[in-house]
Amino acid sequence: MTAPFPTPKTDESQRLLSPEELEAALRDIGARRYHNLHPFHRLLHDGKLNKDQVRAWALNRYYYQAMIPVKDAAVLARMEDASLRRVWRQRIVDHDGDAPGDGGIERWLKLAEGVGFRRDYVESTQGILSATRFSVDAYVHFVKERSLLEAIASSLTEMFSPTIISERVAGMLKNYDFITKDTLAYFDKRLTQAPRDAEFAIDYVKQHATTPELQRQAMAALTFKCNVLWTQLDALYFSYVAPGMTPPDAWTPGTGLVPEVAQAAGTGTIRSGDVPRLPRGVRLRHDEVRGQHVLLAPERTFDLDANAVAVLSLVDGQRSVRDIAVKLAETFTADPDVIEVDVLAMLNDLATKRVLER
Amino acid sequence: MNAITPNTPSLPAPVGLLAELTHRCPLRCPYCSNPLELDRRSGELDTATWQRVLTEAAGLGVLHVHLSGGEPTARSDIVEITQTCAKLGLYSNLITSGVGGALAKLDALYDAGLDHVQLSVQGVDAANAEKIGGLKNAQPQKFAFAERVTQLGLPLTLNSVIHRGNIHEVEGFIDLAVKLGAKRLEVAHTQYYGWAYVNRAALMPDKAQVDQSIRIVEAARERLKGQLVIDLVVPDYYAKYPKACAGGWGRKLMNVTPAGKVLPCHAAETIKHLEFWYVSDHSLADIWANSPAFTAYRGTDWMKEPCRSCDRREKDWGGCRCQALALAGDAAATDPACSLSPLHSKVRELAKEEAAETPPDYVYRTIGSNVDRVAPPPLKEDAPL
Repeated sequence: MTAPFPTPKTDESQRLLSPEELEAALRDIGARRYHNLHPFHRLLHDGKLNKDQVRAWALNRYYYQAMIPVKDAAVLARMEDASLRRVWRQRIVDHDGDAPGDGGIERWLKLAEGVGFRRDYVESTQGILSATRFSVDAYVHFVKERSLLEAIASSLTEMFSPTIISERVAGMLKNYDFITKDTLAYFDKRLTQAPRDAEFAIDYVKQHATTPELQRQAMAALTFKCNVLWTQLDALYFSYVAPGMTPPDAWTPGTGLVPEVAQAAGTGTIRSGDVPRLPRGVRLRHDEVRGQHVLLAPERTFDLDANAVAVLSLVDGQRSVRDIAVKLAETFTADPDVIEVDVLAMLNDLATKRVLER
Repeated sequence: MNAITPNTPSLPAPVGLLAELTHRCPLRCPYCSNPLELDRRSGELDTATWQRVLTEAAGLGVLHVHLSGGEPTARSDIVEITQTCAKLGLYSNLITSGVGGALAKLDALYDAGLDHVQLSVQGVDAANAEKIGGLKNAQPQKFAFAERVTQLGLPLTLNSVIHRGNIHEVEGFIDLAVKLGAKRLEVAHTQYYGWAYVNRAALMPDKAQVDQSIRIVEAARERLKGQLVIDLVVPDYYAKYPKACAGGWGRKLMNVTPAGKVLPCHAAETIKHLEFWYVSDHSLADIWANSPAFTAYRGTDWMKEPCRSCDRREKDWGGCRCQALALAGDAAATDPACSLSPLHSKVRELAKEEAAETPPDYVYRTIGSNVDRVAPPPLKEDAPL
């Protein structure tokens, strides 16, 4: 039985691989260890994560995105060849942009905002998992401390990213109604940027890893980087999927969100697709003494007319507003679109009074 | 159900029952709505009697039961009583201080079918709140209680009684309600009956403060629309027209005291000549329809001028009888909080004077005190109309 994550052989006597063999060996590392294989990513792509779990991912991953230019600047600082620097500096431009509101970090912030976060909360990184911070910081330290060859080889995960990105975009758009094409704009750019960057890096590694020892170092560097990515998903899984052990200071659902989103936990405008429900403490009751239906709520009673009773009897926490309108339209042989307008007006009035939620 | 329909055809059925289960309370708020003479534990109704009263109330048409006190969770049978409400379809509202044993009983109350919790908060700043409530370390207990209420998914209302000792905290009460996850906030200016009447000079805010508090509430209502409902009760003494006390005398509400005396409103005992009936002697339906205390000021027949010919007489029902007695010396007079009362300008002046003076110390509520003698005397008209 082979270990799932073997470390590269340390045998000094291994033979020198041809450049093509080296590339194949590097690609093999990705095929076995890249984070598209991680259970958390499978859940993400298959639409199995709930909105808060997607939020946790977007929030934590921001720290990785934000530190990429710091990492690339550290790599750049070690390059003594101007032609190398001219190529590498493009990575920083891609991420930071040429002006405020531009670049990969900005597009990631848009993604985080798209799932409901406040920008300042995301930028503060105060809610990220320690494991995220440790992993990303380890990556930055790695490129500072190791050889330039290892620093460049560690970036080679980009060889594998186009696969994960297309899977991710298609899966998320299909499975999450809160994700739009605009939210995922970050990945559009990366689809063209990553192969260009990876091509340069693999050429560099193939050209400069000229001894078995250097080839081993390049493979170890890529393995390290795969682990940087994998560990971040381990931590997300542990904290937000199972067993759900969130560290004391890490983000918890409901915090860091823009006010409208924070409210959306039950309040706010009710729309056609929403499923309304009567929360605990609000009850529809027939009042035998007065011979009418009433809605009992905190410190008040609503007298209900026949229409209101017809609507509220269908509010069961299962049916959407649309379902209710269609059902009423059948009963009263009327146009569901016309009925829906009235139903929405009534339900929103009750929602404003805090006796109906969604 | 028809068997106990009251014998007056036009008589509406009561919608609310204020069940003062006990007068015992860990807090000693100087504006407490309980009477100055508090019932002792030995005189409290037993569980079976409360259950009978609740059954009769449901039959009579009561929809909401306000489990109040004192501190209702001080009763060892509070869970059983709540269960009875749930069984009868009565909407149960726990009006609590959230201190003492309240938190320990909350989960059981939830399981018993409790519908709603109204938690009192005396102030925002802990030291101020604890000075007003007269109990050290009350504030953290209240916050822990509120947190558990919302964790359980029970709707939470915060009730803040506003007076000169906390009127600067109105904005803070609103923020606190949002922070604690309350759906409703009551910003209720003190009504000056009972203990609050005794402490009036210590509690009366000035007009500018009152106006400012109203502006703050109105702005917050707009800002927090759909998130927090804020009910505002403005202080009588500064109002143009009085409130329909308890929705009109004997029209909507019954109040049962710990000892089983049935009142049309919680302050009604201040009107000494009224005859109150007890649940031990009469059915609730009989009391509602026929008890002398309920019939005394029900409707409009008892009214004098200017109420009698006023077109608002069936809107505010002449205001508060207890306040009319306290301020005008006559329970059948127009509530002096009304701008049409000949005493109204005096009431305004008095509020202004008291608010301008250095507040005296609070007279804290306590069982077995005799503070009647320190209550302010009624006002006198300078000249007949």
